[in-house]
Amino acid sequence: MPLLYPLLLSSALFGIGLYGVLARRNAVMVLVGVELMLNAVNLQLVAYDAWFAETLHTGQVLTLFVIALAAAEIGLGLAIVMAMFRATGSIDVDEADRA
Amino acid sequence: MIRRWPYVALTAVVAVAVAIWAIPELDQRAFFGYVPTNATPTMLPSLSLDTRVLPDSAKVMLLAAGVTLLVQVYSTAYMGKDRRYRSYALLIVLFLVAMIAVVATDNLFVLLIGWEVMGVCSYLLIGHWWEQPQSRAGAMKALVVTRFGDLGLLVAIVVIGQTYGTYSITGAWVGAADQGQQHGTAIGLLVLLAVVGKSAQVPLQTWLPDAMPGPTPITALIHAATMVAAGVYVFARLLPLYGNDTTVMTALAVVSGVTMLLAALFALVQHDLKRALAWSTVSQLAYMFAAIAAGAADVGISHLVSHGAYKALLFLGCGVVMHAVGTSALSAMGGLRTTLPATFWTMTIGFAALAGIIPTVGFFTKDRVLESIHVATHGETPLPGGVAWALLVVAYVTVFVTAAYAMRLWMLTFLGLPSKQHVEPPSMTWPLVALGVACLALSIGEPLDLDTAALSTLVALAGIAFAWWRQDADLPGPVQRPLAAELGLDHPITRLIPAGTIGVARVADAADREGIDVYPRGGAVLAGLVSSAVRALQTGRVQVYASVIAVGAFVVVLVGVIAR
Repeated sequence: MPLLYPLLLSSALFGIGLYGVLARRNAVMVLVGVELMLNAVNLQLVAYDAWFAETLHTGQVLTLFVIALAAAEIGLGLAIVMAMFRATGSIDVDEADRA
Repeated sequence: MIRRWPYVALTAVVAVAVAIWAIPELDQRAFFGYVPTNATPTMLPSLSLDTRVLPDSAKVMLLAAGVTLLVQVYSTAYMGKDRRYRSYALLIVLFLVAMIAVVATDNLFVLLIGWEVMGVCSYLLIGHWWEQPQSRAGAMKALVVTRFGDLGLLVAIVVIGQTYGTYSITGAWVGAADQGQQHGTAIGLLVLLAVVGKSAQVPLQTWLPDAMPGPTPITALIHAATMVAAGVYVFARLLPLYGNDTTVMTALAVVSGVTMLLAALFALVQHDLKRALAWSTVSQLAYMFAAIAAGAADVGISHLVSHGAYKALLFLGCGVVMHAVGTSALSAMGGLRTTLPATFWTMTIGFAALAGIIPTVGFFTKDRVLESIHVATHGETPLPGGVAWALLVVAYVTVFVTAAYAMRLWMLTFLGLPSKQHVEPPSMTWPLVALGVACLALSIGEPLDLDTAALSTLVALAGIAFAWWRQDADLPGPVQRPLAAELGLDHPITRLIPAGTIGVARVADAADREGIDVYPRGGAVLAGLVSSAVRALQTGRVQVYASVIAVGAFVVVLVGVIAR
């Protein structure tokens, strides 16, 4: 399989994720955007790992790190959203500074 | 009680040192303008400590040291209870040392330093009683006016250095003797500006009478031994650099002629003893300059020494009178002949010397001045014959006026009904006696020209007779009023020049505010514009920042791809 396809998919995912982070006002959707961007990176790491056929599989190892990191990050992020909702009654990021 | 003898002792030590230094030099067969053959010019502007004491310098040094010592002794009584006596007494010593530096040095920059230190000392001493507004004003005027003249000396020194390649006076003499006097007009006129300021000649004459609120011993010191004498001395000392220049000599003759007569007339109409004596000093200094203009610098220095003796005597006597009467107004005096006998006799000698009455020293030196001007009318000096004749006539008229005001002051102070009893402290009368003896003793061995002596004595006697005839009456109103107002000559200095200075300052201030300030203010406006543009980006919304970062990263990558 050519390298181009996974890279195109990865770029598309990253672009959608970036759009979500920049444009959405809902804090949960912003976090979803962040997850999409992380997974776009994961996809690239795996694709390059296969492309270079490296014996140590550094790409795959790094992907596992990123997945663990993403799990921790989403846990923390959702906790912040919960706290924000309790404090302000809203999860709109534009209104987070009104607390 | 402040101990006063250490200050007198310090002054005495300095005076004795000066005497040991100067007395052997009196015998030299040399004079100003004599060029030693073994002189080695220093080529660099250095502060060399070389000295060159010629007989004329030695005379001035002895005069300065002697008068300063007597003033210091006198001050123990006159100023002994003053709470700033210490600084006063030490400044007198500094004044003397600065004068000695000016007189003895062979280096033009050391001369300038001594000259300026004297200016500062006179400022501090005239303003000694700075609680009085007129003391402060007089001191400031003295400083500002003389500083203005000092500018001329500084420029003259630079011109001399550039012309002859040396800042040694002897070196410059040698240069002038070898190559002729170069740039004589420029150097001469610049030095003339300096000495006109220092010696209070027209048109910078008004600071000296206005310095009268200072302590009287200081007045004696400034008028006799140091400050104003330095002007005459320096002009004579640098004479070999411009002595052949007709322009300089004519300018000096005009300045001295105008000054001697005007100042004498001002002295004639004063109602204040001290101020009259101050104008008398200005007039007598003009005599010295007249002698120099006539090409007889040694005569000018002789008159300087003789004037130093009798004017110190007169001012110190004036101090005793003021001490007794409590004021320097002539109207409060009279009849002091019996109550202040020692002062009366010594001041009589002083006034006789001022008027030029034989056998006082003033008679001889004044006659030599007149004689030298008369010689100059023969046309063998750089001074044009016509100017010399005019100067001679003015000088004789001034002899008349001088005798008249000397007689008038003497009458108003001492004659008349005896007043109440006064005391003369011994430490104030001893200096007077010493100076009175000097006024007579200095005349021993002075040459005498019979024609000049007869004529000047006649003129002086006429002046005395005139004063006796007028008694204490003022001159007729149309003459008295403008003279008493000193012809309004002070007006340009105290009004017009400050007004002009303020005007120039206003223009400079406006140029600074409206012109130069445009640049810093424009820079501030520009920074404000830039920051208001940049401020629009700072919205406080994280997502906007992230967008900027994303777009920026995208652009960077795009540029990188295209550039490759």
